[in-house]
Amino acid sequence: MEEKNEWILQQLDELYHKADFYDKALIKATKEIIIEQDKRMFQMEGELDGTLWSPKNWYD
Amino acid sequence: MKTLVIISHPSILESSSQQFLLSVIPENEGVTVHHLEEVYPDGKIDVDKEHRLLEEHDRIIFQFPFYWYSSPAFLKHWQDEVLTDGFAHGKQGDKLAGKEFGLVFMIGVHEREYQAGGRELYSISELMKPFQAMAHKTGMVYLAPFTVFQFAYMTDEEKMELLINYQQYLTNSNDDSLEAKEAWIIKQLQKMDPEDIGQEADNIIQHTIELIEENRMSINELKVVIDQMY
Repeated sequence: MEEKNEWILQQLDELYHKADFYDKALIKATKEIIIEQDKRMFQMEGELDGTLWSPKNWYD
Repeated sequence: MKTLVIISHPSILESSSQQFLLSVIPENEGVTVHHLEEVYPDGKIDVDKEHRLLEEHDRIIFQFPFYWYSSPAFLKHWQDEVLTDGFAHGKQGDKLAGKEFGLVFMIGVHEREYQAGGRELYSISELMKPFQAMAHKTGMVYLAPFTVFQFAYMTDEEKMELLINYQQYLTNSNDDSLEAKEAWIIKQLQKMDPEDIGQEADNIIQHTIELIEENRMSINELKVVIDQMY
């Protein structure tokens, strides 16, 4: 996970424990959005690396 | 966007799931709650008033407990009285055309039973065909139903998810993409009052909003680069 995402998730965890039910729900949903964004970026970066290093592109 | 939530429930005060949903209806987001049994205790429906309400909203929701694979009887009565020829269908009956139509309903049985081989045998999609046909006939866009299974057994965390998903069903665009959800979450975070949550918490929330936006830009840039490679 990217460091900046990991850091904000920790900050949101702290807020979560102090929040009421409604804010907890929003913080939880926010964390899930960031985790999903991080996963997509990781997968796309992997796809990009894989494509760049694919032998079929070496001879173009 | 304006959303009309038409609720039919004969004993709403005794329903913990209905009370929960009522308590989390978003404020100042153009949502109107219209509980039929409360507005018409004598059962006599003011059809003109209902027509005006329908015309004033863009998304129409029926919210009810699941009784014998359908809605309570009063909601069927409402359909018979309100969705008239010349208003909802027939010649010049195009007043609902283009609006969105959604269903919110509570079911006491586990979700897995509503499928071929399950105890209830039929899927929710199959059982909801009359409502889908109604949406089709009146020219409305049928939204995927919002179902709440076994509310009584939900944990606090599950109720939190229910809260967010329900609010999105009422107020978000009909778009299940991550990008649409990000925009909705940012809007909600922006509504948090610094005076309520404190300065330190507000700093974290502002930083979170910036980060979600930055991540989105990165995702979009990566998409462009990957698309160009093929």
